[in-house]
Amino acid sequence: MPAGRLDIRDVSKSYPQEGRPPLTVLSHIDIDVAPGSFVSLVGPSGCGKSTLLRLILGLDADHDGEILVDGTPISGPALSRGIVFQDHRLLPWLTLERNIGLSLENAGWSAAEKAETVRDLIALVGLRGFERAFPHQLSGGMAQRAAIARGLAARPEILLLDEPLGALDALTRLRLQSELQRIWRTERVTMILVTHDVDEAIFLSDAVVVMGARPGRVVERVTIDLGTERDRAGSDFAAHKRRILRAMGAEFGNRHAA
Amino acid sequence: MSDTANTIAGAGFAAAPARPQRARRTGRRLHVNLTGLVLPLAILVLWEASASFRWVDPVFLPAPQKVAAAFWKMLTAQNLAQDFLASITIVGQAFLYGSVAAILLGIAAGLSRRVEAFFGPTFDTIRHIPGIAWLPLIVLWLGIGAPAKVLVIAKSVFFPVFLNTLQGIRNVDRNHIELAQALTLTRWQLVRRVVLPSALPSILVSLRYAAGLAWALVVVAEGLSGLEGLGFLIFRAQGLLLTDQLMVCMVVIGLVGFAIDRGMALVQRRLLRWKQGFEG
Repeated sequence: MPAGRLDIRDVSKSYPQEGRPPLTVLSHIDIDVAPGSFVSLVGPSGCGKSTLLRLILGLDADHDGEILVDGTPISGPALSRGIVFQDHRLLPWLTLERNIGLSLENAGWSAAEKAETVRDLIALVGLRGFERAFPHQLSGGMAQRAAIARGLAARPEILLLDEPLGALDALTRLRLQSELQRIWRTERVTMILVTHDVDEAIFLSDAVVVMGARPGRVVERVTIDLGTERDRAGSDFAAHKRRILRAMGAEFGNRHAA
Repeated sequence: MSDTANTIAGAGFAAAPARPQRARRTGRRLHVNLTGLVLPLAILVLWEASASFRWVDPVFLPAPQKVAAAFWKMLTAQNLAQDFLASITIVGQAFLYGSVAAILLGIAAGLSRRVEAFFGPTFDTIRHIPGIAWLPLIVLWLGIGAPAKVLVIAKSVFFPVFLNTLQGIRNVDRNHIELAQALTLTRWQLVRRVVLPSALPSILVSLRYAAGLAWALVVVAEGLSGLEGLGFLIFRAQGLLLTDQLMVCMVVIGLVGFAIDRGMALVQRRLLRWKQGFEG
């Protein structure tokens, strides 16, 4: 069985509030992700999708329910789960290659293996020639490519992407979506993408999980069966988009009624 | 798909034009340097004029060439170099001890609230007693030689560096700490890879400031006690009404201070190559 299976079982998360009942940000989340698949989480602001990603990453163990990777409950961050944040979060004092290498500090590999991996990844994300550049010398799109390379460096089974393209201009975003798709196919790593952009989710994913807000919960899971060449202007694409938007829209309708 | 990769990678918005930009910057720096010479030259001309036209009595303001002659005499016949060496040795030692202690304790206090709470009240009190106010007591203990001055100046170097190290560490970006957690960095790796580099700009600013301060203070300390050094010479020259020698000392002090500051700025620029600042 290939590695990279993720099971989120009945996960709830709430924050205590002074003098008021605790604020529930995630309520009974159940999501299964097959090894090597691409799943997107979409939903309105405040639906807890980024919080859920933090829990999967292992940065916050204070929640109910279970998060299993390949059948084993997670305990804290691990190199088998990579992350790409919305802000590229490259360290400004490290060159591009050393930023990517930072992921490998505790990988237990030889220096030669590390150097080779970094070199391969820089080629994979199309940044050859910029190995010694500092982050301030890179454009937003290039920095985000570097962040993707860093996320992949330790050969994780699961790569978590927290709106990685959200801060980029529209054209760069489209290009990087194709890049991400290519990387996903090359690396065969499970990817979980949090995004606001429904088109992006449909273009990239095997399945889209639509979440609702207050409290954050799963509203619908839409399987995307559009094959490998996806036409953003095609009628099938539009049909999926309509379905997802309806799931998100119905959510708003209910809230207005309530 | 691969040609989109090439377009974006090949575009290299920032990195490609970096070279001409750098060239332009050096050109401008040269320009700035020449601009900086205008005012000193004007002052020199004014000085020369007031000496030639006897606007000021030469006892109080000797002509520039007389000062230059005095400089040569002090250098060849009166061991100016030795006095200079005495002063710079004190400053060097004081700067080294003060800043090393400050950086180490600043890191400790920055990483641990308990260490900060332990030293905080004591340091904040000692800090407000000026170095020069410490000197009389320290001289009683250690005598009028170099050690007393080293100690007092080291104290004056210590505090700005300590406070800036502490503050620099406390200002580390939370997001970078979260990243370090996600990458499973150990505490030591976090300190070495994230905390110290992000505190470095603020540490370097304080080192530059403290180096200048130490150089200024040695003159005062030597003037107040001891029998050698530029500070001693300057006060002795005043007592003997050797205005030309007095001015030699002043000019030397000013130029050495300038060199120290520029040297520190160079170190700063070198270590902070990764930082992109506002360049006017």
